[in-house]
Amino acid sequence: MADKRSTILDQAREHGIAVPSAGMKVPEGYFADFAAKMTAELPDRPEVERPSEIEQKPKTPWEHVRPYVYMAAMFAGVWLMLQMFSMMGGQGQLVPLDDNAHLAKALESEDFLMEYLHDDIENWSLVDDMIDDETLDGDLQLDDLLIDFPEFVPTDSLYILPQ
Amino acid sequence: MALNKPKEDEQLNARLREGSTARAAFGDVIKLYSEPLYWQIRRMVQNHDDANDILQNTFMKAWMNLENFRGDAKLSTWLYKIAINESLSFLEKERLRNHLSLDDQEAAMTRQIMADENFNGDELARQLQAAIAQLPEKQRIVFNMKYFDDMRYEDMSEILGTSVGALKASYHLAVKKIEKYFKDNN
Repeated sequence: MADKRSTILDQAREHGIAVPSAGMKVPEGYFADFAAKMTAELPDRPEVERPSEIEQKPKTPWEHVRPYVYMAAMFAGVWLMLQMFSMMGGQGQLVPLDDNAHLAKALESEDFLMEYLHDDIENWSLVDDMIDDETLDGDLQLDDLLIDFPEFVPTDSLYILPQ
Repeated sequence: MALNKPKEDEQLNARLREGSTARAAFGDVIKLYSEPLYWQIRRMVQNHDDANDILQNTFMKAWMNLENFRGDAKLSTWLYKIAINESLSFLEKERLRNHLSLDDQEAAMTRQIMADENFNGDELARQLQAAIAQLPEKQRIVFNMKYFDDMRYEDMSEILGTSVGALKASYHLAVKKIEKYFKDNN
């Protein structure tokens, strides 16, 4: 096997194939033309070809003050950002309950109050507590408790709670 | 081959660093390296027009990034790296553009070799190129550099950033695959 491998590649070498062109060709005079054309097309690179001119070029007034202007703009930006965050946060003040339009509107609605109570009070644990502290009689029947609660009628009203 | 002698590189480096001689020195770089780089690229992409475009891009990138090169690295190593990266990028773009898998691209390359008018080698040379086209890209680069350019493993290691041991193993595998290709295709 090894001999065969050597034979094939050695045979190719003997045929003159094991050279960079590997049997391929290029148009006549290609490399000479390429070098001339490529050299002519190289763009100007003053930073490479004339670095001394660039270093000695005098700075314009703007270039002198530019770092200070940028720094001032940065500080102004930070100050504005802090102001904005302060305004957005409302400095921690809460809306007073006695002057809350959303809450007043919600409290005007009986539906809201009933739904709120039904949703938020665990009736039976409240009754248990009342029986325990003897506020209610232990012989109380279920109907006695339910009689005070009218049947809940779902509505389409949408309540907006205060933010 | 093949990589340029360090002394010649040093002289060119010195002229490239000097602003007044940089352009002329780069012209010499083009003259010196266009042929070896062209063949390296051409063996990767097979087509002359594509190889020509990639070679132009290689020198343009080198010129536009000349200040980045100004270190201790060898000029030839740097140029080969750019050329190989450009070739691999080109092949990747072509594959994506034509919605080809790696296998499809290798098959397309083999067909191109068989029909290439700019191929003046005999049938054995064509078969060898077809066998090389079956290799994975990195293995193809290693085989090409060793077999056709007779490049030292140490130089290849610098260009490809791979250890000498891994390169030797890669070349050995490539030779075995080429042998199998010839065996399968009689």
